[in-house]
Amino acid sequence: MEIFIAQLISGIALGSIYVLLVTGFNLMLLVAKIIQFAYPQIVVISMYTCWGVLQLTDNKFLVILAGITVSIILSILSEPIFRKITSTQGVDINASFIASMGMAMIIMDVMSHSINYGFPVAFPPEWIGGNLLSFGLITVSKGQLYALMGGIIAVLIFFYLLYRTNQGRFFRAIAENRYAACLVGIPIIKTSIFSYFIVGVLGGITAILFSMLIGSASPWLGEFVALKMLAVSIVAGLGNLKGGLFCGLILGILEAMAMGYISGSWSNAIAFVVMLVIVLIKPQGLFGSRI
Amino acid sequence: MKKKNNILKIEHLSVTYGPIKAVKKVNLEVSQGEYVSLIGANGAGKTSLLKAILGIEKAEEGNILFLGEDISRKATDKIVSLGLCLIPEGHIIFSSMTVLENLQLGAYHNPSGFEENLQRVFTYFPILKKRSSQIAGTLSGGEQQMLSMGRALMSKPKLILVDEPSLGLAPKTVTEIFDILGELNREGYSILLAEQNAKKALESSHRCYVMKTGEVAITGFSSELIDDPQIRQAYLGGS
Ligand SMILES: Nc1ncnc2c1ncn2[C@@H]1O[C@H](COP(=O)(O)OP(=O)(O)OP(=O)(O)O)[C@@H](O)[C@H]1O
Ligand SMILES: [Mg+2]
Repeated sequence: MEIFIAQLISGIALGSIYVLLVTGFNLMLLVAKIIQFAYPQIVVISMYTCWGVLQLTDNKFLVILAGITVSIILSILSEPIFRKITSTQGVDINASFIASMGMAMIIMDVMSHSINYGFPVAFPPEWIGGNLLSFGLITVSKGQLYALMGGIIAVLIFFYLLYRTNQGRFFRAIAENRYAACLVGIPIIKTSIFSYFIVGVLGGITAILFSMLIGSASPWLGEFVALKMLAVSIVAGLGNLKGGLFCGLILGILEAMAMGYISGSWSNAIAFVVMLVIVLIKPQGLFGSRI
Repeated sequence: MKKKNNILKIEHLSVTYGPIKAVKKVNLEVSQGEYVSLIGANGAGKTSLLKAILGIEKAEEGNILFLGEDISRKATDKIVSLGLCLIPEGHIIFSSMTVLENLQLGAYHNPSGFEENLQRVFTYFPILKKRSSQIAGTLSGGEQQMLSMGRALMSKPKLILVDEPSLGLAPKTVTEIFDILGELNREGYSILLAEQNAKKALESSHRCYVMKTGEVAITGFSSELIDDPQIRQAYLGGS
């Protein structure tokens, strides 16, 4: 039972990270009409930023601010590049995939060449917090608990914004029917640029929670997470926000349970086998694609 | 005759799609409070003309003056904010959202008058009030057309462009929709209607432009055109 509770906590925490990632990715897909494969890399570089600032100060507020700012800047900097290659007709999967993969590679190379000699960085104990509970080999850290609570709150707030506010409705309007959104007078480009900003904020929050949860970051973390993000969004149905919410959480819990009950080293293989089976049965994703 | 007080004045407007010239040097005017119709066969260029007015298609040449201001190079969102709206061909709605959300989106440029406009739309289309929390995609075709019209009215436009509101609807619904357009016009809305159904269009409008392969072929008062033998032959089934 203790194992179950401990794994459930870390599973939901990990799951909410996936939800945040998939939601940001889907928002880019729906509003900006691009495949933003480099999004997790932006999250990782913002984790590195937090780590770097932590070397200089232990003012947590400054750390958080720096992480979020870097993520916003990177997200907005990518906008002019993507705007050049997006078509007005729909998502240009090929062009935006190549461009964002290029961005991801560049960010990864920057991290592996010039930060901490390319070695993974470990967050200091003040940041992750000590152990809260421990059952034999399994422990729950304060950081995991913060990530859990922060993740749930962030997901709730974000979905509230999307589904209950005017700005969220404008995003969903462009996502659903660009022509109709144009007819009611929504400024498409301005709203699309704003979505880069929002996704930047989301990426920064994700970075902070993720660093608390896993306590480290490495140059290759982003690519690894990007694969999962892509897989979850395809399994849920591309562009399906509610589907991403459900599948992201499930994947996190599934991985944590596999880690607790079977073997940590198999948790990725198990997750991908499950996703493979789902995609074979339902190619449009569990909840249906929205693009 | 009304005093000449143009709300819309189009001069030498052309629209092209690559090699295709869809609209060729068209001149057209709508006066304040006027109900003008635009008829013509398939592919005559009616939709292209309306889209160009709203800035959805680019005007290749010519000017479009709306309330004296040239809007021919402006972005659609700016044009809508000035008080123009298009009720598009084939009820384009946000089908996964509720009826109310569709209407809320229509008020993008007029959020302050939301409640008042909503009540007005509900008096024109009582069915939308009954269905306000229903998902728009599950409405019938006629109801979707009404939603599309209601959404346009939420912006409190000064001039309404309507593209084939009768498309694919039962005769009874078509009559209902034309009645509402007439009522809107009597309440002071200026209307420019593109329509295949020449009889309905001529019966309801003050003036009419007949388009033929991108050009205005004939123009005149609807009450006179409806008795014109040439028009009867070509657009009213000959009888
Ligand atoms: N996006 C486009 N690309 C290329 N050609 C187009 C495009 N849209 C319209 N056309 C062409 O422009 C011409 C005018 O089309 P338009 O839709 O304006 O006619 P219409 O009068 O509205 O016809 P209908 O009554 O059938 O709706 C047609 O020959 C059409 O094929
Ligand atoms: Mg047409």
